[in-house]
Amino acid sequence: MQIYVCVKHVPDSAANITILDKSRIDENVTFLLNPYDEHAITEAVRIRDTFQESEVIAVCIGKDDAEKTIRSALAMGADRGLLVSSNDDHDSIETARVLKAAIERTGEPALIFTGKESIDAEGMQTMFRLGALFDFPVATNVIKIDVDETRAVIDSELSGGNVNTYELSLPCVVGAGRGLNTPKYPTFPDIVKSRKKTVKKFIFADLNIEPSKASMSIVELEPLKQARSPKEITGDASIVAQKILTILKEEAKVI
Amino acid sequence: MSEKYDAIIIGAGVIGCPIAYELSKMGYKTLNVDKLPDAGEGSTAGSCAIVRAHYSTADGVAMAYEGFKYWLNWENYLENVEDEKGLAKYMNTGSILIKSQGHDWKKVQKNYDEVGVAYEEWDNDKIKKEVPVADLHEFWPVRRPEDPKFFDEPAKEVEGAIFCPEGGYVNDPALSAHNIMRAAEAKGAKFIFNAEVIDIRDENDKVTGITLKDGTQIDAPIVVNVGGPHSFMINKMAKGVWEGCNIKTKALRHEVMYCPSPDGYNYLADGYHMSDGDIGCYVRPEVGNTFLIGSEDPECDPQEWVDPDGFYAGKGGKGKDNVLTDEQWKAQCYRLGKRIPSLEVPNQPRGVVDLYDCSDDWIPVYDKSDLPGYYMAIGTSGNQYKNAPVVGHMMAELIDACEKGLDHDKEPLQYKFKYTDRSTDVGFFSRKREINYNSSFSVNG
Amino acid sequence: MENIGIIIETDNGKIKETNFGMITLARDNKAETETELFAFVMDADVKVLKEDLESFGITKIVDISLAKEQQNNPVVRAKALINVIKEFNINTLFGLSTAMGKDLLPRIAAMLDAPLVMDCINVDLEQNFAKTSQYSGKTIATIKLSGDVLLFGIRPNTVAPVNIQIKTQTLAEMLKFDGEEFVSSSLRVVKSGETDKNININLAEADVIIAGGRGIQNRENFVILSQCAEKLNAAVGASRVAVDSGWVPYSMQVGQTGEKVSPKVYIACGISGSIQHFAGMKTSGIVIAINIDENAAIMSNCDYYVKADALNIILELTKLFNNG
Repeated sequence: MQIYVCVKHVPDSAANITILDKSRIDENVTFLLNPYDEHAITEAVRIRDTFQESEVIAVCIGKDDAEKTIRSALAMGADRGLLVSSNDDHDSIETARVLKAAIERTGEPALIFTGKESIDAEGMQTMFRLGALFDFPVATNVIKIDVDETRAVIDSELSGGNVNTYELSLPCVVGAGRGLNTPKYPTFPDIVKSRKKTVKKFIFADLNIEPSKASMSIVELEPLKQARSPKEITGDASIVAQKILTILKEEAKVI
Repeated sequence: MSEKYDAIIIGAGVIGCPIAYELSKMGYKTLNVDKLPDAGEGSTAGSCAIVRAHYSTADGVAMAYEGFKYWLNWENYLENVEDEKGLAKYMNTGSILIKSQGHDWKKVQKNYDEVGVAYEEWDNDKIKKEVPVADLHEFWPVRRPEDPKFFDEPAKEVEGAIFCPEGGYVNDPALSAHNIMRAAEAKGAKFIFNAEVIDIRDENDKVTGITLKDGTQIDAPIVVNVGGPHSFMINKMAKGVWEGCNIKTKALRHEVMYCPSPDGYNYLADGYHMSDGDIGCYVRPEVGNTFLIGSEDPECDPQEWVDPDGFYAGKGGKGKDNVLTDEQWKAQCYRLGKRIPSLEVPNQPRGVVDLYDCSDDWIPVYDKSDLPGYYMAIGTSGNQYKNAPVVGHMMAELIDACEKGLDHDKEPLQYKFKYTDRSTDVGFFSRKREINYNSSFSVNG
Repeated sequence: MENIGIIIETDNGKIKETNFGMITLARDNKAETETELFAFVMDADVKVLKEDLESFGITKIVDISLAKEQQNNPVVRAKALINVIKEFNINTLFGLSTAMGKDLLPRIAAMLDAPLVMDCINVDLEQNFAKTSQYSGKTIATIKLSGDVLLFGIRPNTVAPVNIQIKTQTLAEMLKFDGEEFVSSSLRVVKSGETDKNININLAEADVIIAGGRGIQNRENFVILSQCAEKLNAAVGASRVAVDSGWVPYSMQVGQTGEKVSPKVYIACGISGSIQHFAGMKTSGIVIAINIDENAAIMSNCDYYVKADALNIILELTKLFNNG
C-alpha cells in the first residue's frame, strides 16, 4: 500500500519573525519540517512496517529550499519524496489541489497523512480539502490509529481530553495530532542511508491545476502587539491571594 | 549619585563579580554596573560552564587547575554567604580528551605533567567500556554536512584518550555569578542593574568615572572593563584605550546545541565531559538527559562577528541573530552523531546562541590600559568561565599593584596562585602582546 | 440581502456562554438592517434557547433534526449544514473554533469548496476580512475571503458578549430543518466523547486558566492547581516542561505545540514563559504570573506578577473559597 505524508516547510517557531511590505515575512530564517508532520511521518513509517510491499511517500509544495524538509522526512524513514516546486504562496484551497495532482501522478494512496495544522499559516483545513477532492473520509487531531486492509479505526482528540473514535473506510486522510506518538528522529546512520533516496520534482505550472472560484489571501500581516505593563502584587501569600481574587471579581468579572 | 567609589566595575558577569569580591576584601569600595537586570544574565548565562584543565599552554593549564580548586570548595570560597536563589553546583564528571589530530594532545599531556594535573591514559577498549555508545573511528578532518565528503566511510580508529578525573561543569553559570555577587555584597560591594554605561570620563589623562545612559555620573579613580561581548564598545569610550591595545576584542556569535541522549542511555547519570577534536565538538550532560554539544570552532565553520546590541535584540537575520540555525544544528549534531551512532537528532534546533568576547588570538586580555586607572578583563573567548574566580583574584592584585605604582608594562606582575604551587606571568595576558601563535585559536584557548 | 448563519454549540442541552460573543460579533457586522441572523441548533431543545438567542439579536432559529444515531457524526452534521446553507441562502457562516468546530467547519468548507479562516479574533464582513494569528502566534494576519459562501471559525472568548436593548428586541422566527435522511458510509462514529476524568473544563473555552510549569515540580502538586481550578470554575493548563516530564497529559498543554487559548484570566504558575508558551496564550485577557524567579521572561510580559512560590499562593486562593 502507498502511504502519503503531506509535509510543510515552515519557519522555526523560535525564529524572530520580521514583516516585510506589511504582507509577508522575511524568509531569511531557519525553516524546518512542520512539527505536527513529524508525528505523521513516524506513524506512516510504523504502519508501513506492518504491511508488506508498502511505501511511505513524502509530498511537499514549496520553494526549492523545501527539499530540505522532504530530506528530513526521508531521514525519518519515508521512502521517497515528491516536491512541487513553486515560488508563490498558495492557500489551502489551492494547496489541496496541488497535493492531489502530485499524488495522482505517482500512484494510488491507501492512506494520506498530514499534520493537524501548520505552525505558520495555522489554517487547520488542508486535510479536509484534500479528502473532499478525493472523496475520501477525513479525521483530524488523530492520537491513535489502527489500520487493516479496508479500514482505519482512529481516535480523534477533542480538547479537554475528550476523544471520539471513528471508523474510516480506506483510502482516508488523517491529520496527525501531537498525542499520536513520540516522533522517531533519525540517527546519523539513518541520515547516511536517506541520502540515496530520491526526490521527484514537479513544477507547479506543469500540474495544470484548475483554479477554484474561492480563495483566501493575506492582505496584511502585522506583529502581535504586546502592550502589557506588569504591575507587582506584593504581600504575604494570603494578601496576594486576596488581591488576585479582587482582580478576578472586579477587573475580569469572572466570578 | 552622591556616593564615591574606589572602583567601578563595568559588568556583573562571572568575571566582574569576583573582581568586585576580591577588591572588596582588600578594602576597596566597589560598584558594579550592568545593563541587564541581574548578575550573570548576559553571556555568562549562555556559558557551558565547563571546568577542564586542557589548554595549549602550561600557564593555561595551571590557571584552569587552580580554578578547579575554587569550584571544588565553592561554599568556602563564598565564605558561606547565603544566596536566596541557592548555590550553583559543581558537577565532577571527569573529563575525556580524545587523542586526535584536532588537538595537540601531546602538548596538553606535557603541560599536565609540568603542572601536576592527575590524568589517566585510556586505550580504545577502555573508552568503549566507559562510553559504550561511542564509535571510535577516526573522522578527521572536521567537515560540514554540506560537504559530500562529510559522509565518507571512516577507516582508522582514534588513538585513545587522556582522562582527567578532575573535571566537569557548573550546573548553573548565571547562578554562580549571582552567588559571587552576594559574597561581594557581604564585603561591602555595591551593584546597580539596568544601568548602561555610555561614557568613560577622564581628566588630566586619568580616568575619573563613568556616565550612564540616564545621565547619571558616577566617579571613581579606577574603572574596570569586564563588559563581556560589549568590551570593545566600552574600550572605545575610554580615551586612547582601544588604540593602545595591540590585541583587540570582538563579539563572536556561537551556537551550543541540546540533543536528547539515545534511548536507554542515561548520559545525565553516567556522563562525562568530553573534548573530541576529531569531530570538532565537546559535550557534557545537561538536564533532561540531553547532550550539550559545543563546537570547537573548526576552520570550515563560518565565524559571524556581530553587533552585540543588535544580536541580543534579535536583529540581523538568520545566522546573525540570537536564534539557532538549522545548518549549525545539523553540523554539530551530525558530528556527534558520527561518534554516537545511536544519537537521534530532532529536526528543530534546541540550545543556546550567545556571544564570545573573542580576542585576536583567543587568549584573554587581563591588563591595565594606556589610560591610567582604567583596567580590562576582556577577550575571554569562550574559554575563561572556569578561571573566573582565579581571574578575580589576579585582577584585584594587578589593580592594587598598579595603583601602588607598579609599572606592569615594564615589569609584569608575577601572580602567585593560592592553591597551586606556581606563579604565572600576568604579562602573558598583555594588551601589547603580539598575537600568540601557540594558541589553539578556538574555544580551547 | 445578507444572511448570516451561526452554528450554536450546546453542552447537555444548554447553550455555551462562548456563543454569545460570536453572535455579538456577527450582529456588529450586519451591513444592512435587513440582514438576518440565523442560529443553527442541532442537538438541543430550541425552545429553551430561544430567549437567550433573541436577547443577542438572533432573528431566525433553525432547529435541525438529525437521525438519532447520526448526531455525533461530523460528516452527517456537515452535510446537514450544507443543505441548511443552501435552503436558507446563507452567505456567511460563523462557528466557534472549538474542538467541535475544528472537526466541523473545515468539513463544510471543503465540501462547498468555500473559503474558511479558523481561529478568527475579528471579522469584517464589509470587506470580507478575517483576522487570525499566524507564525506561531507572532503575527496577526488579515485575510480576505472570496467565494459564494464565506466561513469563519471564531476563537472562543475573543469578543465580549453584549446583549441588545430589550426595546429593540424582536421575537425570532422558529424554523425547522429535517436532516434525518443524512448518513455517512465512509466515516462511522464508534465511540464519542470519552472524557479523561481529571479534566472538567475545556481549556480552549475556559474563562480562567490556571497553568503550571517547571515550578510546580511534580504530578501531585498539579492536584493543588486542580483543586483551586475547581473552585474558580477554571481549567488547568500546563507548559511543555510539565507535559514532557509526565506530570500531566498532552491535552493540557498550552503553547506552540499545544492548545492556543484566550481566557479572560491566565494565571501562570511557575512558568518561565518561553516564546513557544507565549504562542499559545498571548491573546489572553489578564495574565497573572507567579514565579519565584523574578527574572523569568513571563514576569516582564504580564499584567500582574507575584514573586513567590506559586503553590503557596494557589493554596491560599483555594482557602479563600473554602472559607466562603
